[in-house]
Amino acid sequence: MIINWLAFVQVFLAAFISAIVVVSFYALGLRLLVRAGRAPVVAPAEFTDAITVISEKEARRAEKAAAKAAKRSPLTDGQKRFALVGAYACFAVCAAAVLGGLLLIVFNH
Amino acid sequence: METATLIIVLVIALALFFDFTNGFHDTANAMATPIATGALKPKTAVLLAAVLNLVGAFLSTEVAQTISGGIINEEQISHDIFPEIILAGLIGAITWNMLTWLLGLPSSSSHALFGGLIGATIVGVGFTAVNFGVVMSKVILPAFIAPVTAGVIAFTATKLAYVLTRRYDSKPDGRDGFRFGQIFTSSLVALAHGTNDAQKTMGIITLLLITSGLQSASNPEPQTWVVFACAITIALGTYMGGWRIIRTLGKGLTEVKPAQGFSAEASTASTILASSALGFALSTTQVASGSVIGSGLGRRGSQVRWRTAGRIMVGWILTLPAAGAVGAAAALIVVWLPVWGVIIDAVLAVVIILFLFMRSRRDEVTASNAMSEVADSGRAVKVKRNPPPTRRQRALARDEARRVAAVEAAAKKAAKAAGRSENRPKDGGPR
Repeated sequence: MIINWLAFVQVFLAAFISAIVVVSFYALGLRLLVRAGRAPVVAPAEFTDAITVISEKEARRAEKAAAKAAKRSPLTDGQKRFALVGAYACFAVCAAAVLGGLLLIVFNH
Repeated sequence: METATLIIVLVIALALFFDFTNGFHDTANAMATPIATGALKPKTAVLLAAVLNLVGAFLSTEVAQTISGGIINEEQISHDIFPEIILAGLIGAITWNMLTWLLGLPSSSSHALFGGLIGATIVGVGFTAVNFGVVMSKVILPAFIAPVTAGVIAFTATKLAYVLTRRYDSKPDGRDGFRFGQIFTSSLVALAHGTNDAQKTMGIITLLLITSGLQSASNPEPQTWVVFACAITIALGTYMGGWRIIRTLGKGLTEVKPAQGFSAEASTASTILASSALGFALSTTQVASGSVIGSGLGRRGSQVRWRTAGRIMVGWILTLPAAGAVGAAAALIVVWLPVWGVIIDAVLAVVIILFLFMRSRRDEVTASNAMSEVADSGRAVKVKRNPPPTRRQRALARDEARRVAAVEAAAKKAAKAAGRSENRPKDGGPR
């Protein structure tokens, strides 16, 4: 019985690298979006009971804290624009990684 | 000849039914996490899963070729008996699937299928007819390695996602954005499900066609009509299974954060897609469960609930031999009673399917029976509501405490000094 252990290593590495690339570039993109002053707000499409809903008071307090923090470290417009471009570049890397992976699977058999 | 054709038609129908139950069972694999975080409305999620399963079934046929061209040594099997053996194997798989579903045990449709097929072949033909090298390297070992792989990847990805977006200045962290990203990653999981699970039925039907001489053994690639039939059936099954999820209205789900769900889905999708490309037939359910557990552990202040995790793992290990035993029993009937055995098996299959259908109508649909073990595996990890601070948060807190203490000390000193200057005239005043 011959077991191709190399194939397992290949699967692990391919899966590991692609997942890590997608997740970290997406996270980095989000971080840069925040830096550019455009923190994404995505409301849940439907409230399931698995979502911890913050109260209005808590939300207001968080907003106030965010505004205060933004005042403490103000960025110039140029820096903000740079961060925004970086964010979009990160998302583009994510999309390219996913599309590349899919194309590899479709045309590789 | 006519009975042979009849049996082939019967087996194809049963295989397609198995495909349907597979989709029905696995809608939650892709869609449990995005529904739980509210990334997608249940209705949208289900429709998306069905469509992407259909697309995924066309992407790759590596897994189908593993099954049709490797697991079983076709040349050792006579043409007349093999359709009956596949029939027996399918009955084993469907029976085991139904049993675990009724008892609420975690299970895997894919392993039920392999177990049934292998068990039936061993009893019906003999040990030499099963190619144990391929079974070991493409089915059994991936079964153990893949969930762990997915878990490790999800753990790392979740840690990274949190670390990269963590802020120490109380600005918003933007983690809401992961909810949007989840739409794409969960779609990828549904696509990956199509590339792996729809292929299994294609492989079975192709194997049947090869052994009954309707397709040449040198070309194990599934024919176009087989691909279409399996893709459409699994999409239909996914959509129907989704209706049960919609009816739960998202009640009773485990809490999942968007960042965590995003990482879990990314690792599930990448593990399944990479395996599909190399022809490993793994259980998508187990991979998704492994990812959910791994991503839960990647959060701060998480703990494994060993009892739940153990129950899930026992189910993983038990499925293959148990389905094998049922498949073997069904094959025994066929071997003992050549013609009547097939009829008995067919009647058994119909009875089981009808029972399954009636039972599913009677039960009230709740998250515990509609969401499968992927949602269940979220419960295997306990995350504290207030996680312990990171090292940098501790350092910041220490600095803050020091600053507050210094301010307080200064205030005290000032108060003391003020008190002294106020008291002095009092002391000396009346003299």
